[in-house]
Amino acid sequence: MKLLRRVRAIPVSYRVPFLVALLMVVISAVISERVLDRLSRTQESFMNSLASTYLDGLSAAVLPAVLREDVWEVFDALDRSSTSYAAMSPVETVVTGADGRVLAASDPNRIPSYSELPAAYSDRYGAGVVTVDEDALTGFARRELVYQGQPAGTIHAAFDVSVLFAERREILLTLLVTNAVLAALFALGGFLLVRRMIGPMRILEDHMRAAANGAAEPIPSAEFPSREGEAASLFRGYNALVRAERQRADLAMQLAEEEKLASLGRLASGMAHEINNPLGGLFNAIDTLKTHGGTPGVRDTSISLIERGLQGIREVVEAALATYRPQRSARPLSAADLEDIRLLVRPELRRRRQRLSWAVDWKGEFSIRGGPVRQAVLNLLLNASAATPEGGELGLVASDAGGLLTVSVHDTGPGIPKDIAGILVDPDPGPAVRAGPGLGLWMVRRMIDEVGGTVTIAEKAEGGTTVTLLLPSAREEGKADAA
Amino acid sequence: MDFAKGLVSEGVPSRRAFLKLAAGAAAAGAISCAPAVAQDEPFKFGLTPVFLSNDLELLGHLRSYLSERMRGPVELVTRRTYQEITAMLVSGQLQAAWICGYPFVQYRPDLELVATPSWHGKPLYQSYLIVAANREVEDWRALKGDIHAFSDPDSNSGFLVTGALLAENRLLPSAFFSRTFYTYGHRNVIRAVASGLAQSGSVDGYVWEVMREIEPDLVNRTRIVRRSEWLGFPPVAAPKSLAGDARLARLREALLSMSDDAQGRTVLQLLRLDGFVDAEASLFDTIAAKVEAVRQFG
Repeated sequence: MKLLRRVRAIPVSYRVPFLVALLMVVISAVISERVLDRLSRTQESFMNSLASTYLDGLSAAVLPAVLREDVWEVFDALDRSSTSYAAMSPVETVVTGADGRVLAASDPNRIPSYSELPAAYSDRYGAGVVTVDEDALTGFARRELVYQGQPAGTIHAAFDVSVLFAERREILLTLLVTNAVLAALFALGGFLLVRRMIGPMRILEDHMRAAANGAAEPIPSAEFPSREGEAASLFRGYNALVRAERQRADLAMQLAEEEKLASLGRLASGMAHEINNPLGGLFNAIDTLKTHGGTPGVRDTSISLIERGLQGIREVVEAALATYRPQRSARPLSAADLEDIRLLVRPELRRRRQRLSWAVDWKGEFSIRGGPVRQAVLNLLLNASAATPEGGELGLVASDAGGLLTVSVHDTGPGIPKDIAGILVDPDPGPAVRAGPGLGLWMVRRMIDEVGGTVTIAEKAEGGTTVTLLLPSAREEGKADAA
Repeated sequence: MDFAKGLVSEGVPSRRAFLKLAAGAAAAGAISCAPAVAQDEPFKFGLTPVFLSNDLELLGHLRSYLSERMRGPVELVTRRTYQEITAMLVSGQLQAAWICGYPFVQYRPDLELVATPSWHGKPLYQSYLIVAANREVEDWRALKGDIHAFSDPDSNSGFLVTGALLAENRLLPSAFFSRTFYTYGHRNVIRAVASGLAQSGSVDGYVWEVMREIEPDLVNRTRIVRRSEWLGFPPVAAPKSLAGDARLARLREALLSMSDDAQGRTVLQLLRLDGFVDAEASLFDTIAAKVEAVRQFG
């Protein structure tokens, strides 16, 4: 198992050539085994036929002499056969008569005529025509001489078979060298081929890795493989994906902008109303000043009225400016931001005659970018307002629990549909976003993901929904990362 | 053709050789009184198994020389054993033959001496007892118990001389040697002793000496234990019935004057002989005495 894991850990460009070489070694081992087996069979049959030929010739030559027990002629036949059968290289031949005694041997000094044949000569034969003693590189064969059905004698022959073994060794060596060269060539070829094949994959991998880190770039045409093929179509597919993703991102950005403008429009009409309301009073006050400006009591009262009216208008305008000026959005979130939101939604709530309960148990600043949070909470409140029937109630609760800012927005609406809720709570909001509406919620989600916070959605038993944002401070986040 | 077969059959006894031996033996009785051969038939000259390795060359020169000098075709006949040649000669199937001194004295009444080779200036040669070169024996008596190779039962130097030596010492070959066998050729005796097949052998001294020049590697693996006395060299003989034949006279003339002719000298050079001489039949009396000695003891 461990080995298997280790093998899997080797890059493909090395593993494939290694496997090819391994395969070649296995194939060559099988082939070599077959060839050598075949060779040894061929050699055996070749040797057997040579030995048979030798023994046939010798039998015919010596039989009459054996019958007459003519020592000289038997010897003479053996002596001459040793040169005429050089191909078989007989090293020793012994002819015995019917009584088993030696008539003549090719080397009489070793086996003298008329002596008893040493027992080793009778015991050395196996079942085949030629019995091979591989240590001594010698083959042994025996032929019974039969005349008119009666045993007349025996020929015992020993052959030098070292040539056959040398041939076998040579062929084995040739096979080994050839197969080793082939295996090396195949491995090298495999290595180059695989490298060539996975080259485009590398490029793709690099681009994907870069894309994961945020910069999805299409593969430039210079890096395309020269020929059409799977790699080229893969590259084109990837490029199409990158372009589609970019378009989607552009579109989303555009939509977000539009949503911002849309909510701005709604707010603007509310704000106009908010500004318009005191305006009537302000004009009345100005008329009063024109008419009764001389009266000190009336003048002071009117100027105070005008001042308060203008004060309210300025607050509304400042709140709007704080929300929609990007350069201000980088500031840390403060309690004043929440007050601004309250101010911004008030006209819309008033229009819908809805009540807002406001419970902010938090003062000062929180280390998190203020702009996105303001926008997100504003979106949530506007959504809550839209979900809550006219004359209903909604509310906001905010508290700082030791580096974790909790902001809950609750309404008395029918609840958030499941597919839209997914935009906030699913690990991958993509499918829910693509399914349809809910762009405002998606912007909330983007903010949450940006600051590393979490969202929970709770349905209340008596009706209504609570969306809770848990926002860690940037400092806390930094600490958490360091830890 | 014939002599080629004879050469082939020198060592290996083919069935054909056996059949011819039987036929020859049968013919020996049937046509022993055959009439003189007609002039146009080839003159048949028999040779006992010769010793040399370049037999073919020798036979070619010899036949060509004899044909030219005898002004007619000559056929050289060789056989495996002395006995075959002797039987064919005595029966008249051969007009002349180069035989051994032993058959000559055995069939002396039926044979006419034509000429006798001269070796080292004399028509004489010796018989040798040989052993392997590395064997340390000095006396022939130490050969007791050997496996002994004889050349031919009808050979003087290759059998009779040793038999007579043993007979003179009141010994029988079969008792003195543990085993004996015939090789039917002096060269084969040398081969048998050199290879160790036989521990000792009886061989023609002339053959041994000549072969020592031709095949020193073989002959030097043997050495001489005993040399016999000088004996009559194997002669050329003819059937007595052809004593007055003109062709026989031409043969004698051709042999005696061989050293005067270029081709004749080539033959003599191959045989390592000086020439042929007109020796007396009494030259072979010593051999006859050996025959007698063996007969008396045996």
